[in-house]
Amino acid sequence: MASRFFQGGASDSEYSSSEEELLSSSDEEFVSSDEEQQQEEQDEDDLSDDSVFGNESDESDSDSDLDSGRARGPAYFLKKSTVPDSDDESSDDEDRKVVKSAKDKLMDEMKLSISTISSSKTTGDWVSVLSEFEKLAKNLVRAEQQNYGTPSVYIKAIVELDDDINDVSSDDKKKLNATVAKAFNAVRQRVKKSIREKQSLVDSFREDPDSFQKKESAVASTRETPTSETKPSSLNAELFTAYKAVAESRGKKNFDVQENIKTLEGLVSSATSPYESIIVYLMLIPLRFDTANNMTYMPVDQWDKTSEDINQLFTILEKNIGSYRVLETAEALDDVEVPPQPNAQGVREILGSVVSFVERLDDEFTRSLQVIDPHTTEYIDRLKYEQVIYSTIIRAQLYSEQVISQDAISSGTNEQIARIVSRRIDHIYFKKSALIKITEASAWSKQSTQSKIVAYSADDDSYTDRLMDVLSSVLYKQSNAIYRKKAMLCHIYYYAFNNKYFKARDMFLMSHLQSTIHTSDPVLQTLFNRALVQLGLCAFRNGLIQESFEALQEIAVSPRQRDLLGQSTQRFTNQTSVAEKQRVLPFHTHINLELIESVFLTSSLLIEIPQNAQLGSTVDSKRKQQPRNFRRFLDFHERQTFQGPPEGTRDFIMHAAKALQAGEWKKSVELLTSIKIWNLFSNSEAVKEMIKEKIQIEGLRTFLFQFKTFYSKLSLAKLSQLFELPESKVSAVVSKMIFNEEIAAGLDQVSNSVVFVQGVELTKLQELAISLAEKAQNLSDRNERFAATGGATISGALNGMDKRRRRTAGRA
Amino acid sequence: MSDLTSEELEIARQYDLVQKMIPFFDRHLLYPILESLGDIYDEKTITKLTYELFKDTNMTNFLEEQWKKLDGGSLPAEIVAKKEQKEKEFANLNEATKKVLDVLRQQDVQEHLGQDKNLNREYLEQNHGITEEDIDRLYEFGQFQYNSGDYVMASDLLSNFRALTTNSEKVLNATWGKLACEIISTNWESALKELAKLREVIDTRSFGETLVQLHYRTWIIHWSLFPFFNTDNGLEGLLDLYFSSSYLSTIQAACPWILRYLVAAVVGSESSTKSNLSNPNFQKKLKDLIRIVDQEQYEYNDPLTGFIKALYIDFDFEEANNKLNESLVIFKTDFFLANVSDIFVKNARHLIAEVYCRVHNRIDLNDFSKFLNLSRDDGEKWIANLIKQTKMNAKIDEAAGSVSFEHPSGNVYQHVIEKTKGLSFKANQILATALQQQDQV
Repeated sequence: MASRFFQGGASDSEYSSSEEELLSSSDEEFVSSDEEQQQEEQDEDDLSDDSVFGNESDESDSDSDLDSGRARGPAYFLKKSTVPDSDDESSDDEDRKVVKSAKDKLMDEMKLSISTISSSKTTGDWVSVLSEFEKLAKNLVRAEQQNYGTPSVYIKAIVELDDDINDVSSDDKKKLNATVAKAFNAVRQRVKKSIREKQSLVDSFREDPDSFQKKESAVASTRETPTSETKPSSLNAELFTAYKAVAESRGKKNFDVQENIKTLEGLVSSATSPYESIIVYLMLIPLRFDTANNMTYMPVDQWDKTSEDINQLFTILEKNIGSYRVLETAEALDDVEVPPQPNAQGVREILGSVVSFVERLDDEFTRSLQVIDPHTTEYIDRLKYEQVIYSTIIRAQLYSEQVISQDAISSGTNEQIARIVSRRIDHIYFKKSALIKITEASAWSKQSTQSKIVAYSADDDSYTDRLMDVLSSVLYKQSNAIYRKKAMLCHIYYYAFNNKYFKARDMFLMSHLQSTIHTSDPVLQTLFNRALVQLGLCAFRNGLIQESFEALQEIAVSPRQRDLLGQSTQRFTNQTSVAEKQRVLPFHTHINLELIESVFLTSSLLIEIPQNAQLGSTVDSKRKQQPRNFRRFLDFHERQTFQGPPEGTRDFIMHAAKALQAGEWKKSVELLTSIKIWNLFSNSEAVKEMIKEKIQIEGLRTFLFQFKTFYSKLSLAKLSQLFELPESKVSAVVSKMIFNEEIAAGLDQVSNSVVFVQGVELTKLQELAISLAEKAQNLSDRNERFAATGGATISGALNGMDKRRRRTAGRA
Repeated sequence: MSDLTSEELEIARQYDLVQKMIPFFDRHLLYPILESLGDIYDEKTITKLTYELFKDTNMTNFLEEQWKKLDGGSLPAEIVAKKEQKEKEFANLNEATKKVLDVLRQQDVQEHLGQDKNLNREYLEQNHGITEEDIDRLYEFGQFQYNSGDYVMASDLLSNFRALTTNSEKVLNATWGKLACEIISTNWESALKELAKLREVIDTRSFGETLVQLHYRTWIIHWSLFPFFNTDNGLEGLLDLYFSSSYLSTIQAACPWILRYLVAAVVGSESSTKSNLSNPNFQKKLKDLIRIVDQEQYEYNDPLTGFIKALYIDFDFEEANNKLNESLVIFKTDFFLANVSDIFVKNARHLIAEVYCRVHNRIDLNDFSKFLNLSRDDGEKWIANLIKQTKMNAKIDEAAGSVSFEHPSGNVYQHVIEKTKGLSFKANQILATALQQQDQV
């Protein structure tokens, strides 16, 4: 049964997290979907609403869960957790007179399709068979989404269809006209596919059609039996009556959520046993979430109450860990009033998912942050609650660790733990380790137990690294690639953000994500971009200019960098879908765009200014550079008629570039270090110092390139004084340039100076002569290549024609 | 303890690699390495380590010796027990393998054995009743003998086993065993042969799991240090192995400390007297080396890589000289490097001088000699030799006490002429072939 339960969940990737649920009372029609059935009745309008529009808007919900693979909307389990009572048929009877249940309606549609199919196929009208079959398939998907299971009539229909198709002989097939034949083939393939999908059911049907159908009713009837006899009288009867009333009315049209929440709140206080409290909470919490469904986000006070309730539930569960457990894999209850039988260990298992509650709570929290204006105090106030949600996540993780076997955790077969761990990572990966430590300390101060996955220790300096390593490695073991990729990227982001460049870079390169990321879903792509940018910033902080330049290049020059980093929705389309809006990250996780720009431009400045100075005088075309964005900015800056004092970050950098070109490195440094944005780096002084050093060296190089033609000799002492560098450093820089043949010069140890080789500088005429020679050579090369390939094809073609001519001659 | 000064000792300890490398060696191979550490560490510690190392092996006599050195008291009970057990096991295995070995020793059997292993097996089974199990016994006995320290015997047993068995996994294991035996018995030639066999197996594309492959490669890299640093042309082989791309990335990913040996091998591989240092092959290797050292700076640093970095990346000649002096200590204490020490230092000096001359137009003879640790006259001689060998365009100005170099710079006319020289000839040729084709048609 449990596997069925998950199967249903996996297939409904667009499962609605909205409150409307479909109810079914006619179980016999379906194969083993009893525990998945929903209690709530619903009128017909709601059906279309739910299956068409509802899904649309909720897609984002599962998106924000970051794993469409898991695919259950948070509220999925909330539905389950409301107590299933299949014996409420009697109470449903009067409803059914008025409205047809959504399930029945669906069933009727399917039956209709099936009868059309069987009549059309006898007449050989395969075109209408195809269209009906498509309709049928669509309804099936819908049925599965609503967890009704696979209707037996469907199995029967496809089996019969398959038989009929096989009966059609190849002679008959030839007689069909083109369109019909096409339809026939299409039907054949679809049916084959459907059969493959439902292989086990089809097999059991084929074996014995009669008992197949009987079995279902048997399943249904066994459900009914074990009710009343064992009902202990000591249980709070009043509570259950009220509880059932809420359970039955939930999802109906005139259902007053607030009212019912009040009722349930009352029930919480009157609950006498842990079991009662648990089931009441399992009902109350989803109802609380229901209230927020039509709002942009859950109001703070509501959210607070919900989070309190969840924590209360955890308190109860933790206290009774030996006797009651809430599991996603538990059997559904037939009757709320009968607590489930204890298993071998004496633990009573209740169906539900605490992890889903926490996920939903987290989603609501994120949604509120997405909507609130980040520049208000409201946002800050809201952000304070992150501690609350983080503590709750840890609590959920601890609970999951306790109820899930150690084997399942270490082998990565359990998804529940992965979900909660991935949430936890979401809350820490973008933070400084000092901040994580504070968060952790306050979260663990409330916990009495230790985590089995990674034990908390306050004194260990490397704790946060270890935490991140262990949490990620839990996800690495998951079979679902989305968890693995996400963990990898968060892991990289974390290390890059915490200044461990080489570690982050090695992980980045070894992950080989670059080659596959474009096929991943948008959320992962955003994360990839964020990690890449963070890596670039980290390289810059560590003085690795070239690396920083390369990492940032792609994103920093993109006009869509906001979108790429998930920091705003597209500006080009006016109508951004809800899904896209929900993909936007909350403000506190953003990477400052201005910082990216200034880091990128500064790196470009350090790389390109000396390069340009060098290229000014050489003719070697090979050394000419790839696209130069910086050059473009600089040209633009130069073209301005009026150049005022620098204002924006870019102005500062452009002025610095001009100063560097003129050899005024001090002015350049001054301009660069006065950019305020550097203060965003925690080690801003060190960064400024690094910039100064780099400018000194690059300034020296630029100076040599720029002005070498005017000197025959330059003393090292003078250079060292000019650039305030030690003489040994100057000599090292000059040596390197000479060794790499960037300048034609040599050092003179006796006079301690640089001697420039005269006559190397080219005149304009010489330059032109060389480029002419190069062009002539290119032309000749191309000619040669053409003669080699083109000539061969021409002669080949001619030869072929020759042969043909001979053949025709021979025949004649 | 040895004659190192305390500073040298500190350097040696700081850059001691043994701890990092231990996981990659077999315990028997570690013995000579541990022994060589006597220069750096306390002798007692080493004996203790050695004892711990071999505690689990069957080398009971050896253990007894070590124990006596350590403690002098009566032997611990476990060793005594092991001694007995060892003898028993030895008797067992000896008995079990006797049959096979006897058969193999017969002249006519040896003549019958051919290349095809399956045929051999059939033959042995039919004519002499030797089964698969008997052959596996050879393997076990080989392992046992190896563990007891009888390497020659183990090597023989393992090669016999390898000749007969068809189990490829065990063949691989046996080859590792044999390699270890050959290394310990310093049969470098055959060790190299075994190494080549292993590489053949491990480097095949279809070699199962990548992780295992990586693991085996790190082993090969470490084990091969033994034969390569001890044979005449070993360094060439070492360079070939380490520079092959898969092994290079293994070094970078799993064991960056091997860079020390790579640097030593590159610099120490050519003899500078034959003026080989400027040949393109060497230059290419040097270039690769510089790139890798630069890349791995953040992972691994020692005086040898520091030397390369100072000279070719930072162009800091003084630092390069300092690093060279530091590496002298490494050469004294490192187990593998003792043989290449002299040539390395000589070549390194040469390299420094070469770079130095290349960036200078004029150098002061006095300073330069001091720099090379030579007297002025010797320095002059050294320079003269250098000029002769490398055919540099340089002159010594004795009166001014300096050397000046002429660095020829490319001539524009020459450049243009060279580029356009072949053009008309080429054009004619193309035209001729095109016409020819036309004619054929």
